[in-house]
Amino acid sequence: MADQLLELSLVTPGRELVADKVDQVNIPASEGDIGILYDHAPIITTLRPGPLSYQKGNETVELVVSGGYAEVTDNRVTILAETAEFAHEVDRQRATVAREKAEKILARADLSEEEFKETQLKLFRAIARLEHTESK
Amino acid sequence: MPNLRDIKRRIRSVKNTQQITKAMKLVAASKLRKAQQAILVARPYAIKIMHVLNHLTARCNLDLHPLLENREGNKVLYLVITSDKGLCGGFNGSVLRRAMREVEANRGKDISFVIAGKKGKEFFRVRPQKILHEYLDWTRDFDYMKADEIADLLAGMFAEKAVDRVYVVYNEFKSVMQQDVVVEQLLPVVPEEMEVGREAGHVVDYIYEPDEETIMEDLVKRYMTVQVYRAFLESSASEHGARMTAMDSATRNAGDMIGGLSLTYNKARQAYITKELIEIVNGAEALKG
Repeated sequence: MADQLLELSLVTPGRELVADKVDQVNIPASEGDIGILYDHAPIITTLRPGPLSYQKGNETVELVVSGGYAEVTDNRVTILAETAEFAHEVDRQRATVAREKAEKILARADLSEEEFKETQLKLFRAIARLEHTESK
Repeated sequence: MPNLRDIKRRIRSVKNTQQITKAMKLVAASKLRKAQQAILVARPYAIKIMHVLNHLTARCNLDLHPLLENREGNKVLYLVITSDKGLCGGFNGSVLRRAMREVEANRGKDISFVIAGKKGKEFFRVRPQKILHEYLDWTRDFDYMKADEIADLLAGMFAEKAVDRVYVVYNEFKSVMQQDVVVEQLLPVVPEEMEVGREAGHVVDYIYEPDEETIMEDLVKRYMTVQVYRAFLESSASEHGARMTAMDSATRNAGDMIGGLSLTYNKARQAYITKELIEIVNGAEALKG
């Protein structure tokens, strides 16, 4: 079924990372990971910070994304992420620093709800970056 | 008769200035390219966000969202985007003039400003308008995160009912030669009907995860951020375009000036030589006689 391919486009405000025809996309949705194959039902979902990967032939490409949406219609997969990087681009050192910083802030007790949420998001983002690039 | 040495000094000084303006023009040109690139790159994201929002607005109760609430009230906030640096022709002047016209037109309302850019700050320093916040030096390292921060501030004020309406005033980039000042409403959010990408009769029944409301909540804010982001990018491209044009004409003016001065210089030199010759000839004649 070589011609049954998904049209994947992954964009962030600063850059278009992927525009390609692929076999499968694995999305870190907020309610759990979902794998998108050809003829998937239309869906709109929010993303959580985590690993996104897609397969094209025998090749698998891995990325780390955070924040945003995924939309699937007519075998077009559109990922709108707030941040996204290919796994090999992730700056582990920066992520480690970010994680420590976020942890330190979260340890305080005087945070407003908003600050808490924001820092938590930063922490999750850093963790996502670190976890999914461990082996490299 | 003008002093030869003085003219020469003037020519040299104008030449120096010309070199600077020429360099600034080239720098502006390369920055403009980068800024235009940033607009192009941001466009797919903005269009897709609009697309999803359009899908959702058809299905959700819009009145529920705090950022969509269209309330009566006379507290108006303007986000005015200016540059941090000058030497860009009428760029800042036209934005600020427009902002003041808005003030005129909305007499009796409670108007306040959020200023981006040092030039705007300088302008408002001698005016009585209420400035709620300033973002200086934004041109140096502007990115989506910064836009998010600004959008957060505006959305926060709107949600707390500190303001009832938020507009953004900025230079929209048309071409290198032309930048138009526009005023756009940011809040309450008015989802723009999309012409592109909406196929006729194409209404898809989506699965929403987690659910429409949650997605909607997040999306409206994000849509607004994208609008803010775009306004800043446009403004930045306009600034470089305006500077390029201004510096180009400055370079040309300097060239004209050098031409004029050279002419005067040559004339003066010629007159000086002629005068000396006459003196010599006269002297020789006198000796002969």
